[in-house]
Amino acid sequence: MVLALQIGLIVTSLLLILLVLLHRGRGGGLSSLFGGGMQSSLSGSSVAEKNLDRATLFVGAIWLICVIGLGLLIKVA
Amino acid sequence: MLSAFRSALATPDLRRKILFVLGIVAVYRVGAMLPSPGVSYPNIQKCIEGVDNQSIYQLLNLFSGGALLQLSVFALGIMPYITASIIIQLLRVVIPRFEQLHKEGQSGQAKLTQYTRYLTIGLGVLQATGIVAMADRGQLFGECPDPVIPDSTVFTLAIIVLTMTAGTALIMWFGELITERGIGNGMSLLIFVNIAARIPAEGGNILQNAGGLVFGIVCLFGLLIIVAVVFLEQGQRRIPVQYAKRMVGRRMYGGTSTYLPMKVNQAGVIPIIFASSLLYLPDLITRLAGDTNSWWARFVADHLTSQSDWVHIAFYFAMIIFFTYFYISIQFNPNERADDMKRYGGFIPGIRPGRPTAEYLSFVLSRITLPGSIYLGIIAVLPNFFLDLTGDGQNQNFPFGGAAVLIMVGVGLDTVKQIESQLMQRNYEGFLK
Repeated sequence: MVLALQIGLIVTSLLLILLVLLHRGRGGGLSSLFGGGMQSSLSGSSVAEKNLDRATLFVGAIWLICVIGLGLLIKVA
Repeated sequence: MLSAFRSALATPDLRRKILFVLGIVAVYRVGAMLPSPGVSYPNIQKCIEGVDNQSIYQLLNLFSGGALLQLSVFALGIMPYITASIIIQLLRVVIPRFEQLHKEGQSGQAKLTQYTRYLTIGLGVLQATGIVAMADRGQLFGECPDPVIPDSTVFTLAIIVLTMTAGTALIMWFGELITERGIGNGMSLLIFVNIAARIPAEGGNILQNAGGLVFGIVCLFGLLIIVAVVFLEQGQRRIPVQYAKRMVGRRMYGGTSTYLPMKVNQAGVIPIIFASSLLYLPDLITRLAGDTNSWWARFVADHLTSQSDWVHIAFYFAMIIFFTYFYISIQFNPNERADDMKRYGGFIPGIRPGRPTAEYLSFVLSRITLPGSIYLGIIAVLPNFFLDLTGDGQNQNFPFGGAAVLIMVGVGLDTVKQIESQLMQRNYEGFLK
């Protein structure tokens, strides 16, 4: 059980990193950090971006379940 | 003021944005409390009780809202992203391609952001490995009898590293989501939340250590510092710029007079972050070398690490002034600015465009940076003078001084201004009268 969760955690972690990197960065870097103050452009997100959001949320949820499950199993053991 | 709040919540668009930000912040705080798989939660709580004050990772811990020492899923917080963006920005000086991308405008900027994101993941792996290794060897908490990671096989450790890295990626995504769909800059808002989350605990600490009267005085003092910081953050020198009228096709452009704002504190908190992370290096090196009896190690332990020592304070202060100048010279290029003005037909009254303008700009900049850097230094070392007051070692964590106030005020001002501009679009009245 623990091993299954651990493998699940590894897979979802890698997927999560990959999915987040696939997103288009909107940070704007350091220039807008700490009060640089630049309004973000008003372009709506594309369909691909929306699907990517959904996939990230889904994988993130599984990741969270794996983390919590492992934590509970360790506590019980 | 209150009516502005009500109207902010009454506007459906704005309400959705604010609720979105609050939701993400809630998820983020929950994640910061969630221990990584393989970390023993009771043991780590015991260890934190013992050595919280002595840790060399105080600033890092502050930025992660206490998540770092708990080895939680979001232990690294926003720090890898900040480090990555600072590195990318500094590399612009070294790598010509980055400078070219920076000048290219939006598409180049997007590419640089993408590089920053890749670097963030790399740094996340690096920092997670370092912290997990230190925790496993018991160096993170000094002498703590209980094992933080009970089952320390390579496999378990690798899983913790991987989980923390995924957490870093997730935080980065949260920050971008807030920037995109919420209000304000996501990354800085998350730091703000982390620092604000520490305040009740630290306040309780002072109340317990020093009693009610001192607590009241500290609160009053903190309020005064916040007022001073707001005053200086808003301070700017306005250099008048006159634009000549010109015809493009059949339309008339320009002919306006504006000003070029030069903030007193143009560098923000970045010099403080640089200086404090450099000050941790000697301590880290002596710890890794493991030799605690050489004169060098003793000097570091006596003078550099102890934050109430004069050597430490003087060193810190000098480094902040140096880094302020250094960072501003990277960030603001007078020649470039003068060229830009010349290209669009602008000039500063009384000064010829081109090289004289650039010289004038750099003259004004270096003059205005001096008080700015001294102010930054004073704000940063201020908490070091109150060590006796707040119990042992509550220094950088002390929420009413240092980097914490600067970040909180900067981010708070920025966010309120953005809400304000959203409100202005609708009913012409906001928080700031």
